[in-house]
Amino acid sequence: MRNFEDDPTLNDLLSNEQLARLNQCLSALCSEPVVLARTRPGPDAVPVEFNLETVGWLSGGGNDDERETAAGLVAFLMMFVAKYRLAANLHHDATEAGYAELQRQNEALKASEARYRELSDQLQQKVDEQVTVIKQTQQELYESARLRSVGQLAAGVAHEINNPIGFISSNLRVARDYVKELGATLPETPTKKDLLADFNDLLTESIDGASRIAGIVSDLKTFSSIDQADFTRCNITSLITSAMHLVQTEYNHELQIVERLAELPDISGHPSRLAQTFFNLLANAAQAVQDAQSDKGPGRILVKTQVESASIQIIIQDNGCGIPEHNQPKIFDAFFTSRPVGSGTGLGLTVARDTVRGHGGQLQLDSREGMGTRVRLTLPIN
Amino acid sequence: MPDFSPDDNKLALKVVFYGPALSGKTTNLMQLHTLLNPERKGELMVLETRDDRTLFFDMLPIGLRGSSGLDLRLKLYTVPGQVQHDSTRKAVLSRADGVVFVADSQPSQQDNNAIAFGNLEENLEKVGLDIDTLPMVVQFNKRDIPGVVPEPELQERWGETPWSPLVMASALNGDGVIDTFQVLLNRLYSVVDDEFRLATDHGISREQFVERLSRNSNTEAAGA
Ligand SMILES: Nc1nc2c(ncn2[C@@H]2O[C@H](COP(=O)(O)OP(=O)(O)OP(=O)(O)O)[C@@H](O)[C@H]2O)c(=O)[nH]1
Ligand SMILES: [Mg+2]
Repeated sequence: MRNFEDDPTLNDLLSNEQLARLNQCLSALCSEPVVLARTRPGPDAVPVEFNLETVGWLSGGGNDDERETAAGLVAFLMMFVAKYRLAANLHHDATEAGYAELQRQNEALKASEARYRELSDQLQQKVDEQVTVIKQTQQELYESARLRSVGQLAAGVAHEINNPIGFISSNLRVARDYVKELGATLPETPTKKDLLADFNDLLTESIDGASRIAGIVSDLKTFSSIDQADFTRCNITSLITSAMHLVQTEYNHELQIVERLAELPDISGHPSRLAQTFFNLLANAAQAVQDAQSDKGPGRILVKTQVESASIQIIIQDNGCGIPEHNQPKIFDAFFTSRPVGSGTGLGLTVARDTVRGHGGQLQLDSREGMGTRVRLTLPIN
Repeated sequence: MPDFSPDDNKLALKVVFYGPALSGKTTNLMQLHTLLNPERKGELMVLETRDDRTLFFDMLPIGLRGSSGLDLRLKLYTVPGQVQHDSTRKAVLSRADGVVFVADSQPSQQDNNAIAFGNLEENLEKVGLDIDTLPMVVQFNKRDIPGVVPEPELQERWGETPWSPLVMASALNGDGVIDTFQVLLNRLYSVVDDEFRLATDHGISREQFVERLSRNSNTEAAGA
């Protein structure tokens, strides 16, 4: 049967054995044998109805009365058989539908579970990304805090030193003139002559020293405009020169720096950030050279600038220790450093790259362990 | 959906009495069995009950013959109203051609009416039937009980629905049972005539359809 409600046939209601047995029983009750069949056997057969449906035909029997009575009895029996059938079929239908529904729900559940898993993966990825951003920001914050305090210190020192070094310089020059004038009025003796020459030398040396101090102060001033937010016209050559002076100061002027500086046009930029970037890269180079000194002897840093099409190229190259290959993928990671954070050296490749990108440029680093490192900065001319 | 077998020119329609538990669905069917005297009427099958509550369903087949020889059958089913028999309700409801929703008029049963109606909407959707186009009548039963929700209130509440006006009934006394059935037959006829051209092809007009299927066996007795 297709549906529980489809009208049952005699086949649905009785098996062949049951039908045979029913025929036997009915025949025993009647004077002549009786046969219940699915199809009409002859004109004297009477229909057996169930639910307005003719389910079978009854023939035989001694007379019409017997046939009618037997048919009525069969119809009566069929009712109970059919009730059971209907209930069983309905139960079957309902159970199947329930099971199908359960399977649908299960599928839906699986689908939604997959969706949630995907969502959770995406979430994890987002969290990871955010963590990276936070770490980087933290690093930059640290860097900028460091820069700011260094900058403030430098600004303070520069300011304090600038005035006295100014009058020290000019006073020394005046003093040297006075010594000259005084010397002309004194009687000529060998002792006095030596003394005067010595005096003059002392003053000249002091004037040199004072002008070096003035130079350092002026370099420091380049770095002291740390909070200056706006872009201005920058002279890259002078920024690089200041940075080289400062690095030299840290290394007692013992670094061998080869300068190949070309004539460069001014570009728009953030002077203190660029200066800090050059300083960081030079400090890295100096550190690399020093690290390799015991193996290779004193090293060399090449600083080269050139104009190429519409951009300025700055190359800072050293023949120091280089960066091991397995560390290279990590060198731009916010927290990666082969040296302790805040030690004041070897920091800030990330900041350097971000600064260069902030200027619309590129930073490219090539390094081979034991051979050296070359950093190429490209800044657009604008 | 009507089940038409062209071979024996037989059209079987299915009407389901739906509603909350104990609202009087089985009583409606029993009264129809007693009161109706259609051209053809089969046995009322009260399938299985426990404490008078339907466990599977009840079924009453009635029928008539068209002038074309069309063998038109109407099978009237009740569903079990108790909440736990939902899968049975769904199985009985599937392929229905019409629905009689039997609600209980007692104030305490109004929530159950609403829940059962929601369940009907849900199950119709599940078996792929559209409540907006399915011929349906809503009956409020047990009007004989004192303190039932007043008819104007019910009529107003349902006024905006496609099932307005409601039919009031007291199935226990046989009141409104045939009226309800006739409203349904009218709505059912529209849909079936559209598809099977009962009037043109089989000589069954709306009046004949309703009258011949809902003929009252007690017309004279009731008049006396
Ligand atoms: N007073 C009163 N009682 C009624 C009426 N109709 C039905 N009842 C009674 O309500 C009870 C439940 O009636 P049923 O017809 O079995 O209810 P049902 O909707 O088939 O219930 P389920 O099979 O459980 O879904 C019976 O005791 C009926 O006698 C009515 O019009 N008035
Ligand atoms: Mg019932």
